[in-house]
Amino acid sequence: MRYLTGLAGVATIIAVASAVSPAARAQTTDQPAAAPATAPVAPSPAVAVPTETPPQAPAAQSSVPAAQAPAPAAVAPVPPVVAPQVAAPVAPPPNGTPATVMDIGEVDGVLGRNVRSTAGDDMGRIVDVMVGGNGQVHAAIIDFGGFLGVGSRKVAVDWRALQFASEGKVGRITTGLSRNQIRLAPEYKNGEAVVVLNAPGAAPPAAAPAAAAAPAPAASPAPAAPAASPPGAAAPAPTADDASAQRPKPAP
Amino acid sequence: MTPARAAGAPSRSSLRGLDGLTFFVANLQTGFGPFVSVYLTSERWTQTDIGLVLTLGGLVSLFGQIPAGSAVDAVSSKRLVAATSIVAIGFSAVGLAVGSLFPVILFAWLLHSAASCTLTPAITAMSLGLVGHGRIAARLGRNASFASVGSAIAAAGMGACGTYISNQAVFFVTAALMVPAVYALTRIRPAEIDPVLARGGSESEAGGAAGQEARARHGGGVGGGAPWWRLLGERRLLVLALCVVLFHLANAAMLPLVGSLLTLRSSGSAALLIAACLIVPQVMVATLSPSVGRWAQSWGRRPLLLLGFAALPVRGLCFGLFHDPMLLVAAQVFDGISAAALGVVVPLAIADISRRSGRFALAQGIVGTGLGLGAAVSTTIGGYLADRFGSATAFMGLSILGFIAFVTVFALMPETRETPR
Repeated sequence: MRYLTGLAGVATIIAVASAVSPAARAQTTDQPAAAPATAPVAPSPAVAVPTETPPQAPAAQSSVPAAQAPAPAAVAPVPPVVAPQVAAPVAPPPNGTPATVMDIGEVDGVLGRNVRSTAGDDMGRIVDVMVGGNGQVHAAIIDFGGFLGVGSRKVAVDWRALQFASEGKVGRITTGLSRNQIRLAPEYKNGEAVVVLNAPGAAPPAAAPAAAAAPAPAASPAPAAPAASPPGAAAPAPTADDASAQRPKPAP
Repeated sequence: MTPARAAGAPSRSSLRGLDGLTFFVANLQTGFGPFVSVYLTSERWTQTDIGLVLTLGGLVSLFGQIPAGSAVDAVSSKRLVAATSIVAIGFSAVGLAVGSLFPVILFAWLLHSAASCTLTPAITAMSLGLVGHGRIAARLGRNASFASVGSAIAAAGMGACGTYISNQAVFFVTAALMVPAVYALTRIRPAEIDPVLARGGSESEAGGAAGQEARARHGGGVGGGAPWWRLLGERRLLVLALCVVLFHLANAAMLPLVGSLLTLRSSGSAALLIAACLIVPQVMVATLSPSVGRWAQSWGRRPLLLLGFAALPVRGLCFGLFHDPMLLVAAQVFDGISAAALGVVVPLAIADISRRSGRFALAQGIVGTGLGLGAAVSTTIGGYLADRFGSATAFMGLSILGFIAFVTVFALMPETRETPR
């Protein structure tokens, strides 16, 4: 039996070693891949093509080390989300699809990232992103609360309620909403109409068909109103609790 | 060991080893609870992928219990089974920590589910093999107590680890815990585990010359005991499995629902309240289980089963009717009563029922499958009721199911304790 104890010890050592070594993490599909700039010469159509780079990546691997070094100089930093410019019909450069390189500090993924309030409280993690038919991002789904995975709730929050920048670069994700506002919001359920919490102080969006006041089962937020009485957020009557999420919340 | 050793006279070293084993295994298993979905989320997994991995793991745990139980019965060295399972769980923790590809994490999770199916029956079978049927009740009480303390300490430690170090560190700590667990296993002397008893044979068979012959005949322990289909015809086992299914049908959805409710209703300290909801039953199980073991031996199994089953609908009613978060946490006292009672009496009743059949681990697997089925359907029912009708109705519905479970035990479940000869 002692050999099994030794085996267990060896396994732990191997695990620690492999964790410490530069493990090449596999690219997840939602990570914006920094594509090698294949067209230093052509007028760069300012379209980032993360989804098209994986097929191209094996061919362009050899050019990555060369491309990465001069990348900051060669590629004009283009804001990531921009309407595709009317591209002049340029002949595609010899190596394939034109792409844009984005520095590490410029962009970051959102899934699984922590969201904090302006006061620094932990507000949960972004677990999904709601997108409209025109490609416009409407809301983020935040997994809020709970302990060790028990008792968390998913709440939809307007994309404009989130701030992504700190010191000019993409950094911590913060929101002006308070814990109470998120806590009392109706839960997001897949397959039902989405109730989106608006950004504090913002007017309700003009076109927000997805955020129509859903007849969400108000029974769970409803008993909360008499029981818990936080300063402002519970002021709306229980019956209008889910509808009140549509109107801008009174400033906390 | 001398052939004339009386069955069920294990040494101090073995008993201490068994205590340590249950403690460290509980520590080991705590890292694999709902925390895994938090960890995977922070590793940027989509909810769909997380759901897929957890569902597949759930299926393996559900359908793997019966084959695992047969395997545990067939292998005569329960220590070997336990050691292999523990090392496998340790490796799966490492896989979860360092793996980044979907197949790696999926394999690690499935490995853990499969290893857990063999580990629990192996430990219970070892306990029976060490102390025999006469003292198994007290022993199971002690095991439950150590396990509960182990998981409470591990939950606190891993919560702190996850907050102050990283989510990944939790799995490294979990992997490291396999070392003390295997060490505790080495303290259990193999010769003191009676292989016939551990499978569920009777004492008269194991202790004397007949035991000698049985050991010689069974050799490696393969195929001993009654054919497995006879176990399915054992009415008491089927009734027990049915009661366990009904209990978990009502029970499993309650904690996540009340956790969600606490997050909604309590303005600042929801996480603390949920932690309290988890701690209260653990503390009760840790303190009450040894007594439950003694009472099961002196009063019988049935009164305790009835008590445990009765506490469930009461708890559901409390959750449905109370609004104050503190009262919701207080209602978890009933969860503690049920957990303490069932945690000791159900394996005990299984030991009683499978006595002389030689299929103790298989019987555990059958009841365990019932547990898994009930729990899986319960979360679906609870979720549906809460979505459509609100949480109060959901708790009422679950209480009704709990009451049906109680009536089933009352009407159908006989006393399984055998009067000592």
